[in-house]
This record gives sequence, structure tokens and C-alpha cells, in this order.
Amino acid sequence: MAIYALRKLAFFLGAVFIASVAIFLLIRGAGGNVAAVVLGKSATPEAINALAHAYGLDRPLPVQYFEWVRGMLSGDLGRSFRTNESVADLVTARLSVSIPLALSGLILGLIIAIPVGTYAARNVGTPSGALLALVSQIGVAVPVFWAGILLSLLFGVRLGWLPTGGWTDWSDSVWGAIRSLVLPVLSLGLIMAAVLIRYVRSAVLDVMNQDYLRTARAAGMTRTEALLKVGLRNASLPLVTIVGLQIAELIGGTVIIETVFSLPGLSRMILANVAAREVIVVQSTVMLIIIFVIGVNLIVDLLYGILDPRVRSTR
Amino acid sequence: MMTMSKSSRIPVPAPPGVPAPTTASKKRRRLPRNASLIIGLVLTTIFLAVALVSIFYLPSNPNIPVIRNRLLPAGTPGHWLGTDVLGRDIIAQLMVGARTSILVGAGGATFSLILGTIAGLAAAASGKMTDEAISRGADIMLSIPGMVTALVLAATMGSGALTTILALTAFFTPSFTRVIRSAAIGVLNEDFITAAKLYGRGKIFVLARHVLPNIAGVMIVQFTLYFAAGILTEAGLSYLGVGVHRPSISWGMMLNEAQQQVGVSSPLAIWPGLAIVLMVLGLNLLGDGLRDVLDPKLARRAS
Repeated sequence: MAIYALRKLAFFLGAVFIASVAIFLLIRGAGGNVAAVVLGKSATPEAINALAHAYGLDRPLPVQYFEWVRGMLSGDLGRSFRTNESVADLVTARLSVSIPLALSGLILGLIIAIPVGTYAARNVGTPSGALLALVSQIGVAVPVFWAGILLSLLFGVRLGWLPTGGWTDWSDSVWGAIRSLVLPVLSLGLIMAAVLIRYVRSAVLDVMNQDYLRTARAAGMTRTEALLKVGLRNASLPLVTIVGLQIAELIGGTVIIETVFSLPGLSRMILANVAAREVIVVQSTVMLIIIFVIGVNLIVDLLYGILDPRVRSTR
Repeated sequence: MMTMSKSSRIPVPAPPGVPAPTTASKKRRRLPRNASLIIGLVLTTIFLAVALVSIFYLPSNPNIPVIRNRLLPAGTPGHWLGTDVLGRDIIAQLMVGARTSILVGAGGATFSLILGTIAGLAAAASGKMTDEAISRGADIMLSIPGMVTALVLAATMGSGALTTILALTAFFTPSFTRVIRSAAIGVLNEDFITAAKLYGRGKIFVLARHVLPNIAGVMIVQFTLYFAAGILTEAGLSYLGVGVHRPSISWGMMLNEAQQQVGVSSPLAIWPGLAIVLMVLGLNLLGDGLRDVLDPKLARRAS
């Protein structure tokens, strides 16, 4: 297990390193004088040089890269050119929107997908099973932002039950914040569910053909009992991996849904700063997201190694 | 389906003594799968045809505002699905949107198929070091959220159809690499590969002549599925305003524009979304159906 864990950790560090170089080159290598763009057309050359100097933008790129990495390692994510706010503060403020949104979306997706996928697996070849397969096939084809638009048309515009967009902060009204999250979470969760149902279905189908399920039935369990007590536990192993893989997908969905419902989350901050050429804010925030995703995958791999001894030896 | 229509036109009496029920039940079991192939093929063909027609003929210019025609309802002669807030015909915009979706989706899928096949074959056929380097590289690229990368890419390179295709290529290449690698390894373990090697065939010859034709089915299926995924991603990026721009038109962009005046005319928010769903559904069904025909081993695993 120790060797397996070390290998996974090495992969994590390597991935973070490569991603950081790639992000840095992509954002900085694009060329153009960042300071000049930030200050606008009316800026004097002196002002541009002063800004470039203050933020270290006039130094060679490799030096800037190492300065950035050193800052990240010591918890200093840099500051915005325009407002001089620290990136850490900017990000923290946005997380109170993005994390509840993404997490609830994923949980809702799982709450729908696990029972429905299990049901679909048990009813393969029956009309209801075929109907479920068709519904999830259609669900996979629905873009998450269209689901959001339709839900806001129905519940926001037509029925007027919930806000069509915008954000009430937790500190102003917890109920208001929850209300502004309902439709975004619903859109995200439904689309996640459509994707996850197919995975759950095939994971359960795999398990259903295993010998231990027949053994459990032979030992006197009913079909449902065997599936719930023995099958679901075994099917949860591939499910852990899938949730790990879906994290990147989940973040992509969150990015779009925040725009659909005008929520002041992390991704909208990235979009705004991308437009304003706030390169330090963008590269640090994007890097944080990537570290998070790769980190989740590391945890998933380690969990998998603990739960299932077989993976340790095969990889 | 083909065999079915043939048998319905030319009734062949069952030879005596041959047990009919087995073939009948086999046919019935295969029917839903074939249905997905046919529905997928029909939907895909319709959209391809629409995109093709849009090159030669559009009912009206989808980019020039005609203020006296603004927000015409569906069913208006000459504008059968109505017009948007600037009086531009919805059908014309949807037609150009089909062209953009297909261009960008197929472009992204094609480039990543080419790169992924090269990388996957290299990983499968080379030594352990190369394989490990390519496989880990693909793993790393897969763990980077594509949407975020696309935003950064669009910001630094400027958004447009080409940037979107590039972003799609970056997302999909690692997945293609993995699939092609494992399919190629499967083929390379077959006896006829050993025979070819013993005969003195070189590595490249074996890959091109023996491995490629045997993984062609996998390649076609994957291409179809990523074509669909590319259309979804393109719509999302254009919705965010970092995809294509006018005079190009994207269904995602149309939904963005429609959402700005959702209270005014909600049907505008319906048509482009419906187009995306039908096109993506069609390609996904086609991919699943093709998998059943071309790659029975994978189909059994997937179902």
C-alpha cells in the first residue's frame, strides 16, 4: 500500500507541476504588454513601466514563474492589478457560492442516479428499462445551460416561484441564498444524473452477473436483498472512480450554470478577469481549481487502493 | 432492419424441420439496438443535409437586422419559426448554426482522432518507457477541467471557430489516446501479429496494415461520440461568449441572445436548444448503434 500511495503521490506532484507550467505559458506566453493593456490607452509609458515593475512583470518569464510558484507554496496567490485585492480573498469570497452549488449538484445527481440506475439495471429488456435508457440518453444530450434556461422560464418567469437569477448573500438572508441556489442546483443535478445513471446501470449490471450474487441468493437472500446488501457495496467501487472523473465535468457545468443564473461564483470571476487581462488573478485561480481536481482524483485513487486490494498490485 | 425489410418483401417459407423460434428471438433481441442505429442515422443525416443546404441557400440573411420584422411569431409566412429581437429569421440562423456545430464538432473530433491514434499506437507498440510517458501524460491532461482551459485559451488566443476546435482537440486527444492504446494492445496480442512479425514485417507496416484496420471500428464509434461531445462543448462556449462570433452563428450563441429577452418571447429559447438535443442525441444513438455492429466486444461490455 505504501508503494502504491507513493506512486500516486508522485503522479499528483508531477501533474500539478506540468499543469502549472502549461497554465503559465498559456497565459503569459500569449504576448502583449500586460501592464499596457491593464492601464488602457491613455496611460503614460512611465506609468506602464511602474506597474510592470511593481508586479514583477518586467522580469524574465522563468523568474516570474518561479516567483509565482514560490508565492503559491507559501500561500501568497498574488494581487489584482486594478484593485490590489489579494487573490486569496477574491477566491474565498466566491467559494460561498460555487462550493454549495457544485456540491449540491453532485449530491442531487447521485441521489437520482443511484436508485434509478439500479432500477434500470434490474429491468433490462423490459419496457420501463428501455424507457429509462431513452430518457437518460436524451438527458445526456441536453446542454446544462439549456436546462437552466428552461427551468428559469418555467419556475421563474411563468410560475414566479423562484428568482430567475441573481444572488442573495448568505449574510443577508440564508433563506434568500438557498432560494437563489434552487434552480441552478436543480439544472446541474438533473444533467449530472443523466450522465451518472448510465454508469450506475452498467456498474450494477456487472455486479449482477457475478458469482457472489448467486451465492448470496443461494444462501437464502431475495433478489432485492442480495442486490442491496452485496451488490451495491461492490458496485460502489467503480462508482467512486466515476465521481472522481466527473469532478472535471462538474466544474465545467458549474462554470456555465453560474452564468445562466448570474451567480457571483468563482467561474464568473475568472470570466471577468480574463476579459480584463488580470493575468495573475486568472492564473492563480485556474491553478487552484486544477490542484483541487487532481487532488480529488488522488484521494479517489487512494480510497480505491484501500477498498480494493487488487488495484494496488495491478498498477 | 435491412434484413427485416428484405424478408417482408420476399416471403421465404421456413424450411421444414428448422427450428424457427431461435432466430426469431435473436432478431427481436437485436431490434432495439438496430433501432438506435437507424434513428441516429436519420437524425444525423437530416442535420448534415441542413448544414449542406445552408451553404447554398438561406431563406434570408441571418445577420442583417430588419427592425420592422422584430419578434414575429412562429407561423408567419416567410418566417415559419418567427424572428428574433432584431428581426432576423430563426430558421436561417438555425441552419447556419447547424453548419457551425458540425464544422467545430467534427473538426475537434477529427484532429483529436488523428493525434490520439498516433499517440495511442506509439504507446501500444513502443517500449515500456514511451508507453508510460504517453499514458501518464494523457492522465494528466484528463484531470484538467476542460471548460476552464477553454476559457483561458479563448482569452489568450481570441475566441472563434478555430480556437474552439483547438480547445476540443486538447480535451479529446487524451481520451482517444487511451482508447486507441488499449484497442491496439488487444490486437497486437493476436496470433496473426506474431505471424506477420515472424514473416519479417516492420513495426510500421504491422501497425498500418494489421492493427489499424482492426481498430477501425473502435475509431469510428469514438469519433461519433466525441463529435457529439464537441457539439455540446461548442454550444456551451458560445453561450458563454467565448466560442464563435457573428457572422458565424452558433446555437449556443442564439440561446445566449434569447436569454437576454426571455420574458419577451420564450419560444426563441426553445428552438436552438431543441436543435442541440436532437443533433447530439442523433450522434450518440448512431455511435451506440455502430458500436453494436462494428465492435461487438465493446458493446457487450457497455450494456
